[in-house]
Amino acid sequence: MAEIELDGVTKRFSGVTALNRASFTIRDGELFILVGPSGCGKSTLLNMIVGLEDVTEGEIRVDGEVVNDLDPKDRNMAMVFQSYAIYPHMTVRENMAFPLELAKASKAEIDERVSRAAKILELEEVLDRKPRALSGGQRQRVAMGRAIVRKPKVFLLDEPLSNLDAKLRVQMRTEILRLQRRLETTMVYVTHDQTEAMTLGHRIAVLRKGEVLQIGTPRELYECPKNLFVAGFIGSPAMNFLPARWENGRLVLPVGSIALSDEEGRRLGAARGRLIAGFRPEHLQAGGEEQPGLRFEVQAEVVEWLGADVFVYFDVALRGFEEVELPEDLGLQGDNGDHRSLLARVDPSAGLREGDTFELGLDSQYVHVFDAESGENLSTARD
Amino acid sequence: MSEKREKPIERVLWGAASLLVVTYALIPVAWMVSLSLKRSADLGDDRFLPRVVSFEHYEAVFRDPQFSAALRNSIGIGAISSLAAVLLGMFAAYAIARLDFPGRRLILGAALSIAMFPPVSIIGPLFNMWRTLGLYDTWLGLILPYMTFTLPLAIWTLSAFFREIPWELERAARVDGATPVQAFVHVIAPLAAPGVFTAAILVFIFAWNDFLFAISLTSTNDARTAPAAIAFFTGSSRFEQPTGSIAAASVVVTLPIIVIVLAFQRRIVSGLTAGAVKG
Ligand SMILES: Nc1ncnc2c1ncn2[C@@H]1O[C@H](COP(=O)(O)OP(=O)(O)O)[C@@H](O)[C@H]1O
Ligand SMILES: [Mg+2]
Repeated sequence: MAEIELDGVTKRFSGVTALNRASFTIRDGELFILVGPSGCGKSTLLNMIVGLEDVTEGEIRVDGEVVNDLDPKDRNMAMVFQSYAIYPHMTVRENMAFPLELAKASKAEIDERVSRAAKILELEEVLDRKPRALSGGQRQRVAMGRAIVRKPKVFLLDEPLSNLDAKLRVQMRTEILRLQRRLETTMVYVTHDQTEAMTLGHRIAVLRKGEVLQIGTPRELYECPKNLFVAGFIGSPAMNFLPARWENGRLVLPVGSIALSDEEGRRLGAARGRLIAGFRPEHLQAGGEEQPGLRFEVQAEVVEWLGADVFVYFDVALRGFEEVELPEDLGLQGDNGDHRSLLARVDPSAGLREGDTFELGLDSQYVHVFDAESGENLSTARD
Repeated sequence: MSEKREKPIERVLWGAASLLVVTYALIPVAWMVSLSLKRSADLGDDRFLPRVVSFEHYEAVFRDPQFSAALRNSIGIGAISSLAAVLLGMFAAYAIARLDFPGRRLILGAALSIAMFPPVSIIGPLFNMWRTLGLYDTWLGLILPYMTFTLPLAIWTLSAFFREIPWELERAARVDGATPVQAFVHVIAPLAAPGVFTAAILVFIFAWNDFLFAISLTSTNDARTAPAAIAFFTGSSRFEQPTGSIAAASVVVTLPIIVIVLAFQRRIVSGLTAGAVKG
């Protein structure tokens, strides 16, 4: 049980700032996610919490006690590495017993705890095997087992599932979630996969290039992203983006214009420079019903039927608007010439087929407006 | 790792090629063994296999106090040289593999150039120096040059092995509650063992086989090693070549190397680290 406080934590590697003044608190018993594209400093932060990496500046406190200079072995934290890092010359049993032996636990207690962990993780059959005779999923579970045998204060997991295939990943994700709920131990989980982050976490911190961009529940991040990067990074399929202008009290998009609330209007009016509008694919409604907001006609380029939903890809002509420049590390598609490809997630009952021309509705309350330069979300209130 | 399926014709070709190489390498050895088992009278009989198997040369060799002393010297000097070279090599290789310091490449390059250095060019000066320093005809007098010439080999072998060790395991051990020393003893040392054995065996073989330093820097049973001692064999009479004894002694000297390599072959399994990381 532990609460971890980060206070202006900075890490520099000979000039490269891997993490810049991170300040937040990971609450006791929480499943906290660090998410961001690779190279954003997630592992560095985790290594600093566990003590494998020195803190350049700032303080890390565990239950109020500064641990900056505490040796990893004295922190009583358990870590699961991306590469699993299980000891190849030891059997599964020896691997799991290793932390207990170092802690000088009695033989009986070691046996008891190892067999309990093996039972939880379904490793009983392979206890006497060496790691090289295990499947990827089993190795992953051994790494988990080594972490849970010793009742640590905190679990730290660094991309624990990224070496597994998709099916196993989903299965292990649920197992980790169940384990965390059951043990009620603080867990910090690192991933670059936003789906994993959204499905697992109580709270999520989005990191980018060493900066903590936003911290919040999955829902907060999804509904009120503070900036363009978070908006584009969180959510699958990704948010749609279009260039926009603020003219005569209305937000003008290549597909039409919408009125915004007075307060948003005031904030947009104060903004200089180019704007980007963003809206999620599911907020585009197909069909004839009357709706407040914008309506526009498009032609379905590609239709993907997924059972509960239908993904409809369509092109929007930019009509003299400047191209949208999205952060490169989002990995989202840019404009193709004077067109921008968008996606609507619509009800299958609309019965759309490729080549159909149809009308889409967009409720203005779901439209986010971002400053194209700073990426700041201008439509949500600053806190 | 995927196993390649070979066509029958390929297998035959590979088999034939291997057989050729092995035969080529083993014929002199077989000839030596055969000679050592012939009776003195049969040595010149131009037959590949001995007519009558006799152990008289072996008996003669072991009766010779010089040869027993030489064997002791060889084993002692070889063991100490490999121990010292591997120990020093381990420190150097660890630094080269793990630490990022300026001049890393320079050290590796310098080590290599020492290995390239022709030993024969320093024999003369070394002879004079050792006489002045009192190292001539002592164990230390041989151990020092052996270490010097095998250290590069040890450093290169060990740093190649050390680079392959999944060092994240050390971090994992630290998080699991190990002190740096415990992490080394329980996790890194067992993984490094095959590399260390390999390096030690290579150094030992170098020291064991060396003739040049041994013949130039020793003069008595105090430090003369087996290869040098063999050169001093004499026949039982002035008119007899000591061919049989030399062959027997050579077999005796070759055996330990073969035994060592076979015994530790299993320890040098590079697959030992398989399964530590990823899938
Ligand atoms: N030991 C190191 N020396 C120098 N730079 C490093 C070191 N470790 C990480 N970095 C740099 O710090 C940044 C963050 O790395 P990391 O925390 O591993 O990212 P992530 O885990 O999010 O992919 C990267 O730019 C990386 O190159
Ligand atoms: Mg990482």
